[in-house]
Amino acid sequence: MSSDPAERTDDADADAAAGTPPEGSEAAADAAAAERAAAAKGGDHLLSIEDVDAYYGQSHILRDLSLHVEEGEICALLGRNGAGKTTTLRSIAGARPPDVRDGVVRLKGEAITDRSTEDVSSLGISLVPEERRVFPNLTVAENLHLSDVARNWSNVVGRAISMDHPGMTTEEVYEVFPRLRERASQKAGTLSGGEQQMLAIARALKQDTDLLMLDEPYEGLAPQIIQTVEDAVERIADMGTTILIVEQNAVAAMNVADRAYVIDQGAIVFAGDSEELRDDETTRERYLGV
Amino acid sequence: MMILQSQIASILLNGLQQGAIYALLGIGLTIILGTMEFLNLAHGALYLVGAYTGLIVFQETALTNGLLYNSGITSIGFEGGFLAAIVLVPIVGFAVGLLMERFVAEPFYDRPETDQLLVTFGLALILEETVKNVIGGNTFQSIAPSTVFGVNVSQPVSLPLVGLFPSWRLIIIGFAFAVIGLTYLAIERTDFGLVVQAGTRDSEMVRLLGIKINRSYSLVFALGAALAAFAGLIGASIQTVSPQIGTTQALVPAFLTIVVGGAGSVRGAIAGGLVLGVILSAMTQTYSQWAQIVLYLFVALMLIFRPEGLFGTAEVGE
Repeated sequence: MSSDPAERTDDADADAAAGTPPEGSEAAADAAAAERAAAAKGGDHLLSIEDVDAYYGQSHILRDLSLHVEEGEICALLGRNGAGKTTTLRSIAGARPPDVRDGVVRLKGEAITDRSTEDVSSLGISLVPEERRVFPNLTVAENLHLSDVARNWSNVVGRAISMDHPGMTTEEVYEVFPRLRERASQKAGTLSGGEQQMLAIARALKQDTDLLMLDEPYEGLAPQIIQTVEDAVERIADMGTTILIVEQNAVAAMNVADRAYVIDQGAIVFAGDSEELRDDETTRERYLGV
Repeated sequence: MMILQSQIASILLNGLQQGAIYALLGIGLTIILGTMEFLNLAHGALYLVGAYTGLIVFQETALTNGLLYNSGITSIGFEGGFLAAIVLVPIVGFAVGLLMERFVAEPFYDRPETDQLLVTFGLALILEETVKNVIGGNTFQSIAPSTVFGVNVSQPVSLPLVGLFPSWRLIIIGFAFAVIGLTYLAIERTDFGLVVQAGTRDSEMVRLLGIKINRSYSLVFALGAALAAFAGLIGASIQTVSPQIGTTQALVPAFLTIVVGGAGSVRGAIAGGLVLGVILSAMTQTYSQWAQIVLYLFVALMLIFRPEGLFGTAEVGE
């Protein structure tokens, strides 16, 4: 993606070569410094990513990326299309590709970088991926039941790290999304986009989830459905589940998030409270176009 | 009018038997393709293994010669080599499937499809040549049981509309559909089946939910292999057996079946197998020289007008 130097700023270009985060703005420098300080504190955070370099084949996508998510917060990762948001989530989830060649991902201080996708999931990180990816050939109830199967089948893994937030029962999930109860025996492939998004979130909630990662949950949804999903996300957060939300739609994400990172060319260029980002017109215009 | 009706009934009955073979082959191929995104050109070789294992078991457990006869075991009343084969052939297929998954398929899961095609086609050739060298390239007559559960089944029975039909073939059709039915229930009604169904659509998403689908892979592969071997036994009971059958009677029809049924769909493999079986049977009994042409034409038309098959989606493993 970033193989064409003309598409990058000169600063970022030089930094990428030197292997340090871009310092194209003062905010970026602050962001990097803040993350280093945070990383130095060690296992205080629920999740921390330290100096991660990730590749798709030969393409260097994430460049020395660091960020952290604190227990109980809603954290937003914002950036343009192709900035590396999905790659970041996949790197955390243990999904391959990307190939994480350097750096470490920690959950409650324990390195999980080399764990398999299913192990990371069993350890308490749930990813609701782009495009929902519900199983269209299974009913809503069967889609939800898969999370029970996951719990029944996982045995030894997950013991090392305590699970603070046991998954919801199907009944509890139906209370969050009453629409899914009505559609329980319907094939997921016949659901509307909004209903599929609810199902994708619902099955993640059924997992023993300490950190819920949402990849562009509002993408392609009608405005009134966005409201429903937004309400659900807030309800989930109120119940104490930590959320890392990835969005291209910066305004929507800033509405729900406590804290935000902005990613560009695979590196963090802003880190701070949502209010700070709202006030930081330069960063918003430069990296988010809003 | 009666003649036409009896012809149709006979076509359907023969179609059921041929269709059951295609369905058994197609189920295995389609779940392996769907969950592992692995194209197994050695699937037909498992049919070959099943047919020859059946042949050997059948002969060695016969009442008038063979291993059991020579060791005097027949005196304890063990009869019906075909029943022994029905138990043993799937077990052998399962074991061969486990080995194949572990040593051939598993190292190639992450390799390009062309590599998978080459290695599995090579394996198919190796197995075929091995059979030729060890057992010989000659053609064996189909094996037909004379007794099943102590009941003499060598006499044809008179069926309404169909007329005289070999009774043991009815029993074989019954066995085949019992196995297909059990497989269908296992896929539709168990947690294991649910994971397989989900995996045929999006195996990474299954893993993202925390399910160790890799562990299921060897079981899925072995089950698919057992079904293919069982199909080989059924096939050996109605057709002659020679080393080439793995490719001509199994691999190609198995692919046709999942093209018609839809890749990744168990229901599709069953439906596709039956449709092809009936078409083949209808053509064989009417214009037999056109049978193969019509069969491939039908599949070509399916590819053009309904590429996703009867029950599938166009994309597999997305």
